[in-house]
Amino acid sequence: MHIGDTLRFSGHALRSGRTRTWLMLLAMAIGVGSVVVLTALGEGARRYVTDQFAAIGSHLLIVLPGRVETTGTAPPLVGGTPRDLTLADAQALRRSSHIRLLAPLVVGSAPVSHRQLERETLILGSTAELEPVRNLHLARGRFLPAGDPERGAAVTVIGARLKKALFGNRRALGRWLRIGDRRFRVIGVLQPMGESLGANISEVAIIPVASAQSLFNTHGLFRILVQARDSDSIPQARRDIVDIIRQRHDGEEDITVITQDALLDTFDRIFRALTYTVSGIAAISLSVAGILIMNVMLVSVSRRTAEIGLLKALGSPQREILGLFLAEAGILSAGGAVLGGLVGLAGVGLLDWLFPDFPLAVPAWSLTGAVILALAMGILFGLIPARRAARLDPVQALR
Amino acid sequence: MIRLEEIERSFRVGDEWVHALRHIDLAVDEGEYLAIMGPSGSGKSTLLHILGLLDRPDSGRYWLGGIDTLSLSEEQRADARRRLIGFVFQTFHLIPRLSAYENVELPMLLAGVRPAERRERVQRILRDLGLSDRARHRPDQLSGGQRQRVAIARATVMAPRLLLADEPTGNLDKAAGDEVMHTLERLNRGGLTLLVVTHDPDIGDRARRRIRMRDGAIVADDGSGSGPCTSATP
Repeated sequence: MHIGDTLRFSGHALRSGRTRTWLMLLAMAIGVGSVVVLTALGEGARRYVTDQFAAIGSHLLIVLPGRVETTGTAPPLVGGTPRDLTLADAQALRRSSHIRLLAPLVVGSAPVSHRQLERETLILGSTAELEPVRNLHLARGRFLPAGDPERGAAVTVIGARLKKALFGNRRALGRWLRIGDRRFRVIGVLQPMGESLGANISEVAIIPVASAQSLFNTHGLFRILVQARDSDSIPQARRDIVDIIRQRHDGEEDITVITQDALLDTFDRIFRALTYTVSGIAAISLSVAGILIMNVMLVSVSRRTAEIGLLKALGSPQREILGLFLAEAGILSAGGAVLGGLVGLAGVGLLDWLFPDFPLAVPAWSLTGAVILALAMGILFGLIPARRAARLDPVQALR
Repeated sequence: MIRLEEIERSFRVGDEWVHALRHIDLAVDEGEYLAIMGPSGSGKSTLLHILGLLDRPDSGRYWLGGIDTLSLSEEQRADARRRLIGFVFQTFHLIPRLSAYENVELPMLLAGVRPAERRERVQRILRDLGLSDRARHRPDQLSGGQRQRVAIARATVMAPRLLLADEPTGNLDKAAGDEVMHTLERLNRGGLTLLVVTHDPDIGDRARRRIRMRDGAIVADDGSGSGPCTSATP
């Protein structure tokens, strides 16, 4: 029997049992569709997080005071609080040739007011280099002036939403703000941008680092953001930072250096694992569809006993009857897979339309994997009914 | 054409063994028209199944067209059914979802005959049996006689040498039954060996040779001893 004739004959048999055929197609389609949608969600979450990390800058290293990494040794009995990171520490890091830019950071919260309007606001104290390091873009005016970071001018750059809250649609450049008990002149307004690692950059006020130190009456830095020359120099930059700070801190390594790449890698791995898990769960629904195909086909074999007997009387050997029933299972799972793929892509399209900011994407492996798995399930579970049909005794079957 | 020697067949029904066929010796020549008669349970259907290679005897020998059939594998027996044997059943066994045309085409579809040749042969045989205007009808749109003639067309479209008919008129009224028998007899006159299993004496009387069975044994054969086949038996 030719393959085309086999498929036509099996397709004809499927069309005659319309309800059960649609049910089986539906089961397969739901399985394949859910694999596609769930992997797209997982992949979207992964991209969302990595995009967020990429948005804070490139080749970044973050230097924190204190040692938070576990070393495996017992905690020291004496020593207690680590030494502060100071502006001088930050300036010393410039000795490393692997470091391109760095921005010390002091963070605090203070009320910001203009006339009667007041807002509790996140204050970032930093230098001119924060702009390139953190990938900030200005809508108006200019960023903090370069110069000696030890000297704090009374100027501020404010986020787009903070500007809106305090000034509405009026011009903010050149106006004076009150931050805490000091007055600052607005010299720049940031472009509106989204959420970035929890801190909404649209709602901050950025002031010179020395001003922030005196405003919050602190000597230490919250952290130092360092941009390496390129991605290859990140490990060397990290070694340099540790060496320089250790020299300055009497041989003690009391800082933590986090590289953006390592962080990105970790999140990437976590979300990949999550995506695989979720798609694995969805794949279980494919095996459920396979079992449904098996059941419905077993019923179909017993209802078509006489037909199978006739095929045998007409000279079909066992393998031909096996082939006919496997072709039915194959057509069902292939049809279900195609249908499910379309349903899945439509679902992803709908979600994409509903949540345009979320970077949904269907990875190629999930679509091909789901389709191959659906085919495998259909044929695997179709094998049992097909073998039963092939092994029917023709005399009994024709009775 | 057919030679059976010492065929035995028994079935287990519950705790008992039923001896369906005992010591069957039979020779049938090419082109013969034979009726196998007997009451139900006499073993005539079992004999037909063995002749049609759908069942195997427990012992004995069976040559069909010079082939020792008991040495054939499952696949080879299926192939022999396809090439040599046509079946006509009491209940027609047409596939309900297929049209008359497609039912007749089915054996050639299974055998992998080319579509152009399939079309030509189906159209010719439907024309021969006066069914051309029924080609697109499904079985439930045909009368009983028409259904059986479609089944005969299907049984003969592969040009077999042996046609086995199991109570071919059992589900038909007298007129339709006569028409079906005429069709079968016409094919027999064309050289096809025809074996009809029936318990209807009117049908049996039409055959040139009659075999009577009882309790799994042949009790009468009004044609045995004549014809070239018997003399050729070693």
